[in-house]
Formats: sequence, structure tokens, C-alpha cells
Amino acid sequence: MIVKDLSSCSNYYSQFFKEYTELRMQENREINIAYVKGNLMRNEINATSGVSARVYKSGSWGFSSNPDLNPDTAKSVIKSATDNALYLDSRVKKSEKPLPDDKTLAENDFATRNVRRSQKELVDFVKELDTYIDNKYPSLTSRIVVLRCLDMEKSVITSSGSSFFSMIPRTNFIIRLSTEKDGHPVELYDVTGGLGQFEDLYNSASELYQKVDKIYEHLMNKREGVFSNAGVRPCVLDAALAGILAHEAIGHTTEADLVLGGSVAGDYMGKEVASDLVTLVDFAHTAMGGTCPVPVYVDDEGIKAEDAVIIEKGVLKCFMHNKESANHFDAKPTGNARAYQFSDEPLIRMRNTAILPGESHLEEMIASIGDGYYLMKPGNGQADSTSEFMFGVPLGYEIKNGKLGKAIKDTTISGVAFDMLKTVTMVSDDMSWSNGGMCGKKQPIPVGLGGPAIKCKVNVGGR
Amino acid sequence: MNNREIGRYGLSCLIKAGADKAQCVLAKSEKRELNVEAGKFSLIRTTYDSNMNYKAIKDNREGITRSNKTDKDSIEQAAADALEIATSSQFDNAYDIAEKQESKRFYSGSKEPDIDRMFNRLQTFVESVKEKYPKTILELAILDFTHLNSYFMNSNGVDFTTSKGIYNFIAMFTSKDEERTSSFNYSGFSTRELEKEFLDYGTINLLLKQSSEQLELNAVNEKFTGDIIITPDSLAEFIDYFTGIFLRDVPIISGTSVFKDKLNEQVADSGFTLYSRPISGEIADNYFVTPDGFEAKDSTIIEKGVLKSFLLSLYGANKTVRERAVNSGNVYVVDPGDQSFDDMVKSVKRGLLLCRFSGGYPNDNGDFSGVAKNSYYIEDGEIKYPTNETMISGNLTELFMNIKSISKERVNYGDKILPWLLTSGITISGK
Repeated sequence: MIVKDLSSCSNYYSQFFKEYTELRMQENREINIAYVKGNLMRNEINATSGVSARVYKSGSWGFSSNPDLNPDTAKSVIKSATDNALYLDSRVKKSEKPLPDDKTLAENDFATRNVRRSQKELVDFVKELDTYIDNKYPSLTSRIVVLRCLDMEKSVITSSGSSFFSMIPRTNFIIRLSTEKDGHPVELYDVTGGLGQFEDLYNSASELYQKVDKIYEHLMNKREGVFSNAGVRPCVLDAALAGILAHEAIGHTTEADLVLGGSVAGDYMGKEVASDLVTLVDFAHTAMGGTCPVPVYVDDEGIKAEDAVIIEKGVLKCFMHNKESANHFDAKPTGNARAYQFSDEPLIRMRNTAILPGESHLEEMIASIGDGYYLMKPGNGQADSTSEFMFGVPLGYEIKNGKLGKAIKDTTISGVAFDMLKTVTMVSDDMSWSNGGMCGKKQPIPVGLGGPAIKCKVNVGGR
Repeated sequence: MNNREIGRYGLSCLIKAGADKAQCVLAKSEKRELNVEAGKFSLIRTTYDSNMNYKAIKDNREGITRSNKTDKDSIEQAAADALEIATSSQFDNAYDIAEKQESKRFYSGSKEPDIDRMFNRLQTFVESVKEKYPKTILELAILDFTHLNSYFMNSNGVDFTTSKGIYNFIAMFTSKDEERTSSFNYSGFSTRELEKEFLDYGTINLLLKQSSEQLELNAVNEKFTGDIIITPDSLAEFIDYFTGIFLRDVPIISGTSVFKDKLNEQVADSGFTLYSRPISGEIADNYFVTPDGFEAKDSTIIEKGVLKSFLLSLYGANKTVRERAVNSGNVYVVDPGDQSFDDMVKSVKRGLLLCRFSGGYPNDNGDFSGVAKNSYYIEDGEIKYPTNETMISGNLTELFMNIKSISKERVNYGDKILPWLLTSGITISGK
């Protein structure tokens, strides 16, 4: 358990702060339960906690961490981080100006108030879901049911006066079903869940039966699926795909550290980069009146987190910043600095990235396409500093004469996001979040991504 | 308590809590790390961590907990939690721990980093890149030294200690000339000593040179079936796909692997031999003990195209009544072929030099597709130009079956040794 209110000890620790300093205590707790074809292959609890300090000296950072959570260790990591910053400064002498000030006080605790379930009850819950699949769909060749819970609890003070505590939990089920067609495996998976501890999201395994049935229905369609016809096609990208596009292909290029590293977005500030139907926001904690999947109220540098409106009506408006990049670009920090583990330094990370809803209905978007695809789910994806992207598409359907046709086999979509977004001609009026995302950039970090469906032209793989 | 005593205490707590079989692994790490961002030194990190891994089996039910705390109260709590989880688990005869083996201590690398040398080597690298490749930006370069002491103990009497010190380096870079931007690329290496300049390790210099060429790109304007030369950097990814989808526990237990019944049968071209060599002297980044608590040995996974071993853990082997792998995979080494890289290029009528594959994870059938990044178009035996927006698709099983040649040259990254590999039957399509 970490100290919930580090501010109460700030007088004690501040005497050791010689330069700009952040002191963070953090604990990550995980539960992993996995059934593979009825076999309990994972049944684990992991907990990692410790204290870290990061110190800034004229453009040079020093960092240190230790798993022992006690005042003496905190003191030693402050000293070690300070020594590291001073050593680096003595070698490189960057003479950068001081970081922007912060003074934010906050406490955001999303821990459940319900009675916690035991590990046995969680295992039984997953087993019940697995048994439902086995009984109802015995012809499946394989099934995997995974429960993943992650609680991230952190307490931070900075030498410039910020102090906050946060406990942000996430619970996800991953359900993967497999069948065969002519001796070849065909599979489909989906991820569900989101912000909150298990007890706040689920009461009974039966609540997930409808999700299973839907995956099975799509899998059976995909089993009889056809290859997509390779080439640039008119497509409707459903919310999950539009969300990963917003995150991977646009979002990363507009993280200020990657802009400094040469990303193409550095040349586009203030320019038209998308259709005027596209407004893309990295939400801090609240969107459309609801709490986002990964709410960030104060970032790990003690900056009050605010929404970053990256593209507004097609025009590139801002980058995402930490304190240092805000200094460089003479901008305001946006509260995007986040660390995954106690032993990680904060990096510029997205929080909840989405295109804003438009005015079209999904049905009319599909009806407007004569020959194209409705692409529903993303697999893994990658994007480039050029905004060139590639995403796997494990679930999609043909659109023929305005109507959904046959399912398609696994395919990929690719393109240059800043070009592709200029082809957007319709944006749906609804919005949904994908809540299971983990972004990789030196460290992993939970992210939210979502949005409406968009109609655009995109390069579809296939034969 | 010293580290060995901490490990022993964890094991005794598991047994005292009622475990029929118990395993405790303690890993204590110290890391020193230097970071360069956008071509400038940005950060020095010093991190200490512990990882205690507890496994309890009671009445053929298994529970696992992990914690990074090593005080007595935390150890007792984690051991008790492992037993409680085991109680919640399902009955399964396949749960087990390693049998008794001769106790051993393994050592590799230094105990302490040379920080000044780390700084100087990295500084030289940053300056060399600026000088040789002025249009290339080092987005991120990370050099770390990690020292890891690990203690493996179980109730059958397993008692292994490993002590390893290793330098790891990775560089990620993009080239930029006014508004022209290349795709990013990256590579790295592991080494026990910083004995030479970083440009001389692995493929770092080659990829930096290529990056600076990749500001002028051309599209492959049609779709065709051709050859690809897979570079060592991208071959590592295809081997990971191959082993992950066809040879490890989940695909074999779930039955989704298309090779589940192919042991001792041909699964690749007869020129292809793949090893996992965690204890080899030619590897800097060794491991000596598997997560199950067995002393690791080098193995042959595919010999002249014939599948010789799955990569099954103890559980996977027990569950499927097959042989346990003698290591936990990775540290892959591929035998060299008999053709030079230059001759390999000359033999290609039409295709790509695939330098980085940005693709979706292949499906269970091995079908893959993705973008050929940082790659080059080859026609009539000549590398013509770097490409953009070019997709490739194919099937993993066919890719390894259709190997036409393997290069004489190989790259030793410190954690793998891989050649260039020429294969055919890949669908290549431009915009």
C-alpha cells in the first residue's frame, strides 16, 4: 500500500530537493486468469511497488527508483536522481531554461466500494464463461477466455507544489474463439470491459453471454468469408478502427517528443491535414459528459491535465506536451506526461484519443457505398513518423450496392493518415470507446481510443 | 537476509503454508541507463528492483504470485496468497516443478558498469551520426547496463544461481530533409563489454545509411508475385511469429498449430536450420535456467527443414504428453547458407529487399500481410530504389518452405545470429 497523501510528508522530503524534483510512490496490481480450451493456464496475482524520483538540472534529467517504500529509500532515490542530473549536466551543459511551474492538488480514486471478490470467485466466474462457450458451441476447435485486471495507484509531489493521488483501475475480458474451414484455422477475438475494478463492472458471467454469441456469429460468417479485393476502396471504418487510426497514425506523430524526433507533423502545424469533418481530440478525463476509459486529472509531472485538440475541423492545431517540450515549443503543457511503473520515468503519452462524432447515421454511410467494405475490428497496428499506417482487420464485411454482403477473411488496411483523413466524407453521430488498449513506447501504458465510424478511402490488402 | 536466504525463506514459507510442491525465484536487478532524445543527451537512470516469483502446487492445483518486496512480512503474505490461489485453481495433473538437478552457479559479464565509458561511447555515436548522416535524427537512443542476480529454488532441491551483467543498446532514427521525411527505423545489440564503436555493432551503420537514402521514395505501381530478401532485422520478427504461432504451449495445447502433428517432418526448406542457443559462447546475452527451473541447454528446433522440437514448457509437455523443450526459446541462431548477399540480389528477377515488416500478427493459419518499410525494389538482379506504401502478403509456412537461398553473411546481435534469407511466392502490391 502506498502513502495516499504524500503532501503530508512534503515538508520532510522537500528539504532534500536541491533542483526541480518529482517524487512518486506507485503500486501496480494485476490479476491474470486464462483458460485455454478448458485448461486453467494462468492464475496469478502480481504486485509491483516502489518509489522513484526525477530531477531536472538545466535540460538534463536524473532518475532513480527503488522497490522499498520507506522514507530512507525515498531520500536515497532523491539523492541518486539528483546526482545523475548533476553528472549529466556537468557533461553536456545544455543550459536550458527552468520548467514551467505547477501547483495542482487532486485526489482521484476509482477503487470499488463493493465487497472485493476472492481469486477463487474470479476463477469460477471465468470458468463459468468458458463452460458456457464449451456447452453452447461444441463444434469450436478452440477457445481462450482471459481476465486481466490492472490497478494503478500513485501518489506524487513535485518541488514546485503539486500533490496528487490517483487510483485508476481497469478490468478486461479477452474472448477468442477458433474454428476450421477446410482444415485451416479461422479465429476471432474481442476485448470488453474498461474503467473500474471487477466488482463495479460485472455481477454474473451471464452478462457476457451476449458478447460471446456475437463473436460466434461473426466467426461463423468469417469462416465462410471471402478474400478482400486489394486496392484503394471506399470503406466505413467502425469506431474501434477509427480510434486506433486516431491513436497510432495521427496521435503518435503529434506527441511533441516525436515531433522533435522528426515526425512529419512538425511541418503541418496550422495546415489542413484532414477533411473539415474531422476534429480529433486527446481527452484528459471527460468526453461528451462521460468519464473516459483512462481518466487523467493530473499528469506525473503535476500538471493539471487538459484536453488536447489536435485537429480542429481538419486543421492541425496542437501537439501533446510534457513540461520540457512545452518549454521548447513555447506552448502550454497539456498534462500528457505519464509513467507505467514506479521504476519508469514519465513520457509524453496519449490518454483518450478520438475523432468527434459527426451528423451521419451508420446505416446511411453503408448505404452510400456501391462497392467497398465495412471494417469493424482492428488487430494490432503500427504507424510511422510519416503517418503511414498499417492495421490488421480481423473482422469486416463487403458492402455491395449499399448493403452488407459476405464477411471477409483477415486483411489489413494501410495508407498515409494525413492523406487518408482528407478523404473522409461522412462521420457517424455516435461514439464508442475501446477500453483494452495498451500503447507501447519504451514503456507500455493503458490508453483509451474510440470515436464514431468514418467513411473514407483506404488501401485494403487482400488477393 | 542475503539474497540466497531471502529465496530460501520464500520457499520455506510456501512449504509451511501447505504446498505439496513449491518453487521460488528471486531476481534482483540494478540498471544504469543513458538516454538520448532528438540527438541530445536527456536522462540518466539508476533503478533497483526485485522480483519474487512464488509457485505453489497443492492437490494438483497451482497458484502463482509475484511481488517485488523482499521483507519477511511481504514474503509470508505472498506465499500465503499463492496457496490461496492454488486452492481456487482447477485440478490438473500437468502442474509440476522441475526435478532435482545438480546445484550450479552461472556467471556472465561484469558486475559493474563503466559509466564514463558508457557516456563516451554514446557521445561518440551521437557525434558520428551527426557527421556521417547529417539528415538523420536520432529520435531515441538508449544504452543500459543491467546486472541481474537470480536464485532458482524448488522443493525438489533445485538450487541455481545466475549472475549476469550485460550492456544493451537500441537506436531509433528518422531522416528528414525540409518536408521530406523517411520512415523511422531501429536496431540494437547486446554486448558484455563496450569494446568497439556502436556503428560497428550489428546492422546499426547499415540501417543509418539506408535511412539517409530513404528520403527519395518510389512506389511499386502494380501487384505481382515475387521474391523477397528478408534482412536479419526483419527475419527475427518472422522467426518469433513462427515459433509463437506454431511451436509454443498455447497453439499446441489448444490444437490451433498447423504443425502440431509434424514433429520430425519437413516444415521448411531443407537449407534452413534453426537453433535456440541460450548458453552458446557466441551469444553475449545468455540465459542459463528456464522459468520452470531447468538448467537451459542449446537446442535444434528445425534441422535441414525438419521440425525437431516444439517449444513446450513443463506444463505444456505434461499436458500434451510430448517432450519438454530443453530451453525456453529465443536466442535464435540460423545456419549460414552458401550464397553471398550480392549474389542473392543478382538472383532476384523481381522482388523486394524487406528491411522492416510493419504488419498485423499472422493468424493461426500463418497468413500475414503488412507494409514493407524501409525496403527496396529489386529488378533483374539490381537494387533499384527505396519503396513507399508497398504491401506484402503471404503465408508463414510457405515462406519458410519456399526458401531459395540463405546468405553466407550473418549478423550477431548478441542475443541472436541471423543471415539474410531469400524466399519466393510473396504477393507484393503498391498503391
